[in-house]
Amino acid sequence: MASIRVENIEKTFGKFKALNGVSLEVRDQEFVVLLGPSGCGKTTLLRIIAGLEQAEKGRVWIGDRDVTELPPRARKIAMVFQNYAVFPHLTVFENIAFGLRMQKATPEKLRANVERAATLMHIENLLERYPAQLSGGQRQRVAVARALAVEPEVLLMDEPLSNLDALLRLEMRAELKRLLAESRTTTLYVTHDQVEAMSLADRIAVMNTGYVVQYDEPMKVYQEPANTFVGGFIGSPPMNFLKVRVEGQQAQLQSLSLKIPTPAPGPEVLLGVRPEDLEAYLEPQPQSFTAEVLVVEPLGPHLLLTLRFGQQLLKATVPPDFRVRAGQTLWFKPQPDRLRWLDPGSGQALAAR
Amino acid sequence: MRSERYIPYVLILPSVLFLLFLFAWPLLEALLLSVRGSGGQWTLENFQRMAADLYFKDALKYTLLLTVVIVPLQVVMALGMAMLLGGISRGRDLFLYVWTIPLGISDLAAGIVWLAIFTERGYLNSFLQGIGVIQQPQLWLSYETPTMIFVAVVAAEVWRATAIVFVILVAGLQLIPKEYSEAAEVFGATPWQRFWKVTLPLLMPSLQVALILRTILALEVFAVVVALGGRNLPVLAGEAYYWYNAYQNPGVAAAYSVIILGISVVATMLYLRLMRSKREGAA
Repeated sequence: MASIRVENIEKTFGKFKALNGVSLEVRDQEFVVLLGPSGCGKTTLLRIIAGLEQAEKGRVWIGDRDVTELPPRARKIAMVFQNYAVFPHLTVFENIAFGLRMQKATPEKLRANVERAATLMHIENLLERYPAQLSGGQRQRVAVARALAVEPEVLLMDEPLSNLDALLRLEMRAELKRLLAESRTTTLYVTHDQVEAMSLADRIAVMNTGYVVQYDEPMKVYQEPANTFVGGFIGSPPMNFLKVRVEGQQAQLQSLSLKIPTPAPGPEVLLGVRPEDLEAYLEPQPQSFTAEVLVVEPLGPHLLLTLRFGQQLLKATVPPDFRVRAGQTLWFKPQPDRLRWLDPGSGQALAAR
Repeated sequence: MRSERYIPYVLILPSVLFLLFLFAWPLLEALLLSVRGSGGQWTLENFQRMAADLYFKDALKYTLLLTVVIVPLQVVMALGMAMLLGGISRGRDLFLYVWTIPLGISDLAAGIVWLAIFTERGYLNSFLQGIGVIQQPQLWLSYETPTMIFVAVVAAEVWRATAIVFVILVAGLQLIPKEYSEAAEVFGATPWQRFWKVTLPLLMPSLQVALILRTILALEVFAVVVALGGRNLPVLAGEAYYWYNAYQNPGVAAAYSVIILGISVVATMLYLRLMRSKREGAA
């Protein structure tokens, strides 16, 4: 086990700047997810840590070893690839044993580790098969077992679930969480799926355009996004950002006046509020604002409403038995302790509440 | 809608007819020719005459020897070149084009190029005289120096036909997803181990194609040998030619062709059996 530390990593592909001086620390035994849209540099960062890509600037540490100049094979890592990269010409057993064979492990250790990893992944009865005889989910298990068998100091995973169908992905996600909680291997996991990130991570590093924009625990990232990008990227539907007028220390939305905890930067401020944190009422309420219902989408656990508030659109979720039709006007009260205040110019959150 | 089902068949019909007319039929004719006497009766006479001929043993020996020497040499060289090319990023295309130039040269022309080097007043003698290694021009390609003719044929063939193996292997290497090599790298394999444990096994299908193609072509070697050694280095295809043209005996010429065909078929079966990929075996 070991920590991972990267300092000021810069990487350019041709004219495209993939990473703009990224620094990140993953603690020993921590599970960190790199989350971001495609092209944000998350996979590049992972590959630099693996040694498969060379950064122009910056250093990579694994434990207290500076591995920046080391080839991948000397870094004591294991990796799970997006398309599994399970060797088609080797049996499942030999695939899992690959890393141990390269380390010249003793036959006893090799057999013991392979069997332990295979049992953990529930593929102990497939050891003699070839990958062509396996389903996608089983290949995925082989890829993870191969990584666990070498007992790596750190485990790197590059979108390991994205090639599985939705149901299997859900199952594997829970299984991975159980497995890695048990093995306590320091893990860095790349995904563009925010639900996956929320579900698995001890901490999430949200990346955009080659920067880490926020690095925090999942619920913090969800409830207190550092800027409009994070609030919009995480959560489905995304966070609402309402432009509201500032009067003194108060933000005014019709009859609703909210206290802004820090001095506002200008005459307007952005109010970030999650769709589920808006409480809807059919009757007029004190301390509320009204919005017209444009669309009602029944999604099962709740109804998703698209609303018009002045010139702005927002989303809200209401219980499935809430009787509402398009065209109606509703009164809304936000949960006062779930609000996020942001600078409308920069999109950055205002200083801590 | 129903007529559309026949369209594919109609479209491949011309090429099928062409192949039947120009390949299958002559093949059958050659087979019949080899086992029939002048009166049309069934006989093994042609094969007996062939086997009794002075040149037959040498032709068989040299053909097999050339194949056994040339094909592995070409595969190893082409594999090395293809792997080197994979390691180049800048100027890759330049190397690719330069290395494939010999593809555009006919085998007879290739033979003549090497003849110009090895002949009595050729480049090799001029060079050796120039640096003072020899005083008199040496006779490299005469009936007294079959080994030298053999070496010259090997050199010419390697120079001429390694490119086709190279092209097949480059294409094959490009088909292997780079994740396999990366996975091997992450799990501790040295470059040498990556080559032996991952790249080479995954390249097997291309290697098989290249080996079969090159072996069949090597068994038919003719123009390069004729240009460099004439009949001083007899080969099977050359004998077929001499029996057909000089001796006006199509029957024995056909027997030689059938021998080449037989060896080619056996070699191909061997490759297919020995190199059967595990994925296929498993699927």
